[in-house]
This record gives sequence, structure tokens and C-alpha cells, in this order.
Amino acid sequence: MSQITEDLLQPLIAATEEVFETMVFRKVGSKTPIFGEALRPTSNVVGTVGFTGERCGLVAFYSTTETAREIAGAMLGMPAADVNGEMPDAIGEVTNMIAGGFRLKLAEKGETLAISIPSVTIGSDFYTKYASDVQRILCPFRMDENEICVELILTRN
Amino acid sequence: MRFLIVDDSTTMRRIIINTLNKVGYQDCAEASNGREGMERLAAGGADMVITDWNMPEMSGIDFIRAIRATPALKDLPVLMVTTNAAKDDIVEALKAGINSYVVKPFTPETIKEKIEGMLRS
Repeated sequence: MSQITEDLLQPLIAATEEVFETMVFRKVGSKTPIFGEALRPTSNVVGTVGFTGERCGLVAFYSTTETAREIAGAMLGMPAADVNGEMPDAIGEVTNMIAGGFRLKLAEKGETLAISIPSVTIGSDFYTKYASDVQRILCPFRMDENEICVELILTRN
Repeated sequence: MRFLIVDDSTTMRRIIINTLNKVGYQDCAEASNGREGMERLAAGGADMVITDWNMPEMSGIDFIRAIRATPALKDLPVLMVTTNAAKDDIVEALKAGINSYVVKPFTPETIKEKIEGMLRS
């Protein structure tokens, strides 16, 4: 049975910090991770990338629409107010790079994973439900005055 | 120096172009997959290609194989920019014919160093 432990959590946090520092040009500060089915933050934008291999699961990215626009604007070198249609693609890339960095850090320890292409869901009043047979850990990060979250969802078998 | 940027993500194409502009390269054309990339190369050419790996219609690996199979393009420098960074991935990309490899996320300095290294060799 797979377990989410420090050896998975630290690569995920480090990958997220690297992506934001080098591609979004923002420092993010990690907050205390939340295990299990705790109350999820309000998010209108969710990016996901699946992975399979010795362990299977998902890496998910959560933010509000306003924060997602700010991220996209920073990546593209344009004001957040001018961002519109570019935002889903930008959040897909952020999620893809976080999952790719996570995969690389595990590969350095000898664990091989394959990752899927990213998908992005945008809307309001929606709830992401996963199969009951998963373990979840939510990693919140402070980005300036905003909060973003990255979640690791791991199947138990 | 003319660059062709091949990536299905408009965001990533824009980031790469902004990065190239920042390090002193201004002449950049774009394509959203390998097939479009081949059309661009046939139409106008480029001095260097920067390509992603995972793309619809024609992947980066198939794109590189197509470049190396075309006599007029077989020596064209190709830099791959991707999240596929495990050892096996790099071996596969080298076998397909890339000249160099950059892992996302990247800094402008990394891109500059890789381009200059490719131009020297």
C-alpha cells in the first residue's frame, strides 16, 4: 500500500517553489500541509496531471480565477487585467511543470513515473470528488497576498 | 539568427520567445506541433529549432526524426525544452537527434548557455 510521506511531500513542495520562482517570477512560501479530507479552499481554477508507475495518482493545482490571471500575466509578461483566453493554457503549463518536477525528483531517487497531459477545470460552485480509495495531502502556499494550493492524491493500491 | 519555436502551448511559446528576446534573439517564428513545424521549415527555414516533446498530431520526437530524415535539414540545430527529464527520456531524445536539452522550468541563463553551446559545437 502506498503512503504519502516526507519522501513524496518534499519533492512536491520543492517542484512548486522552483516553478513559481523561475517561470512565474514569484516567490511562494509553503504553509502547513493538510492531510486527508479537510475543508478545501475556494478555487475556481483546478489543474490536474495524472501519474502512473510504482505509485499512481494525481497532482492538482488550485487557485481563484483572479490569482490564476495574475499567474498567467506574470508568465506571459502582461498585466493580469489583460489576461483572458490565455489563462487555462498557462495554468495547464504550471500544473504540468510541477508534476514534471515532482517526477524528476522521484526519478533521481530511482522511482519511474509516467505523467499525463494536463487538464484544467474552470468554473464556480463545483466540487472535485475522487475515489474513496485514495490518500490526499493539500499543500497551501502564500503568493504575495494570495493563496494557491497543490494537492497530491495517491491511490492506496 | 532565426528561431522556430514548436510547442502546442501558446503560453510556453510566448515564454520561450520572451526569454529569447531577453537574451538578445529577436527573430522567432512559431508552430503548434511537429507537422506545422515541418511546414514552416519547408516554407522559410530557421537557423535553430526549439521544440517541446508532447504535442498532438506530430510529437517532438517524431518531428526531430523527420528533420534528421530530410537532407536539407539534417544538420539543423535542435534544442528540446520539456518536462520529460528522466534519464531514459534524454537517451530517447538524443537517439532521435536532438543537439541539446533543457528541462522546464528553466531560467534565461540556461537557455542562453545551451544556445551558445550549440552554436560553438
